[in-house]
Amino acid sequence: MNFLPYLVVVGALIAIAAASRLRDPLPKYLLPLLVAVIFVCLWQVAADAARYELKDADGQFVRWVEVFPTPRSTVLGMVQPVKDGTLLRYAISSVYRVAAGFGLAAVIGIPLGLWAGWYTRGFEALNPLIQALRPISPIAWIPLAVLWFGVKDAAAIFLIALASFFPIVTGSMTAVRTIPMVYVRSAQNFGLKGFELFRRVVFPACLPQIITSLRMALGIAWMVIVAAEMIAVDSGLGYLIMDARNANYYDRVVGAMISIGLIGVALDLMMRRLERFDEVRWGFSKV
Amino acid sequence: MAETNPKAPAAPARVPHQARTAKSKVEVRGVTKLFQRKSDTLEVLRGIDLSVESGEFLCLLGPSGCGKSTLLSIIGGFEQPTSGSVAIDGVEVQRPDPRRIFVFQEYGIFPWASVWDNVGLGLRERPKEEQAHIIRRYVDLVGLTGFEKAYPAEISGGMKQRVALARALAVSPDIIFMDEPLGALDSLTRLQMRGELLRIWQQEQPTILFVTHDVDEALQLGERIVVMSPRPGRIAEIVPVDLDHPRDLGTAAYGRLKNRLYELLGVGHAV
Ligand SMILES: Nc1ncnc2c1ncn2[C@@H]1O[C@H](COP(=O)(O)OP(=O)(O)OP(=O)(O)O)[C@@H](O)[C@H]1O
Ligand SMILES: [Mg+2]
Repeated sequence: MNFLPYLVVVGALIAIAAASRLRDPLPKYLLPLLVAVIFVCLWQVAADAARYELKDADGQFVRWVEVFPTPRSTVLGMVQPVKDGTLLRYAISSVYRVAAGFGLAAVIGIPLGLWAGWYTRGFEALNPLIQALRPISPIAWIPLAVLWFGVKDAAAIFLIALASFFPIVTGSMTAVRTIPMVYVRSAQNFGLKGFELFRRVVFPACLPQIITSLRMALGIAWMVIVAAEMIAVDSGLGYLIMDARNANYYDRVVGAMISIGLIGVALDLMMRRLERFDEVRWGFSKV
Repeated sequence: MAETNPKAPAAPARVPHQARTAKSKVEVRGVTKLFQRKSDTLEVLRGIDLSVESGEFLCLLGPSGCGKSTLLSIIGGFEQPTSGSVAIDGVEVQRPDPRRIFVFQEYGIFPWASVWDNVGLGLRERPKEEQAHIIRRYVDLVGLTGFEKAYPAEISGGMKQRVALARALAVSPDIIFMDEPLGALDSLTRLQMRGELLRIWQQEQPTILFVTHDVDEALQLGERIVVMSPRPGRIAEIVPVDLDHPRDLGTAAYGRLKNRLYELLGVGHAV
């Protein structure tokens, strides 16, 4: 039995306890890093517990068989896809599909949402349909997407666009409908009309909420891409998972999962940067 | 008036209310306002008649819910009266107008724009240079020089209200409507802002209609105080305040007026 993971967990817990007693500000990444260390150790312990001994006909021990990969074998399993560039290529095609589908959804969803939010009749007409389509999981659309677009990029992009469209359009619509009256009244008082009213008041007033809905939509899009790629295409991280599973390379399955998580964090951090601009900061924090 | 040249010589000394030749700026005639509600009709204003003179500082005082905001919104053109009419300079009011600016209790300045851009809101069609000149002048007038680049979230409540005031003044409006504009400020800032408001009023000479439910505020600011009765809002009495600025809060005349206002508001000599 290997005691190292337990020791590390205890060490990390002590470090966390000690760190939380400190009054001085901690380095931002210290606690998340310690938690990650604990997570990896527990993973190691669980994987070790699940593995079993392979014996030959004479009952002689041959080797350990892992039921699911340990952190160590995951890292080893990823060496080849990293070296030959498949991981990078697949990651790029996944990100490309998400960018295309998400961009399409934003380009259609934001104007449509703003329009439907501003004109009460538009909202009354459109909202029920949107609310009825919204709960249909993008995964339910996979058969139709494949039927319409084939096993190609277009099918995956369509699914992403669909998945990100609803949070974006609903967010933009709600944003317009909840603009404080006082802004609209002030604007009208100063003679703002038509497109100028939109550009100087309606749009900037909605922007923080639009950014929040974009952030949500991108998170959903990234989640859906994997499902879409498992069926609708033959490249990408989702495809990597399916492909590795069929070949029984579970270390690569887990490696691809971790890559998806890390890229997801990176995408979200990018979106969060948008919140820092002077024009929208007021919508996210008091100062 | 809307085209006042910022370089014009200083305004002439103020003519007190009593001596001004009566030329009414705002004429409110028989205004009533009903709000339709789910099951019944709410009568908010009943038979309001009121004339406001050009350049006057008029305070509207009344208990909460008596329809002060509604009346001001109607005069400002944001809402239509159920019956009766409002005329400004002899023309019936139909909609909001950039010559008459509303300053709200919640300020209404835009959090996505800097102080500079907020003050410039009404100057969009002027040449850039003129804009800059006017903005600088009014930012200075309200004492915000040095904060031009700040965003509303970075300044205090009192400063936000100054921005709203500067934004209103920058278009040289002939009427400024103020609906409890100092209500959200702490009492010290309120006192200070009242003083500044008077100074600016004397300097720029707009007509000001100022809603408040604070008796002292009305007495410190108004040339006349329109006291309204509880809903349905009617004008209980119009009380002239014949005291010179700066007004001494300790005088007997002031005390008498204050008691009179409390009486009209139905709270007698209560504290
Ligand atoms: N749009 C509306 N629909 C229905 N009722 C309304 C509407 N606007 C105002 N009222 C009602 O009219 C009455 C007068 O409101 P108003 O805001 O004018 O009062 P106020 O004198 O300004 O009060 P306060 O001092 O509290 O601001 C209130 O009872 C309010 O509920
Ligand atoms: Mg009010």
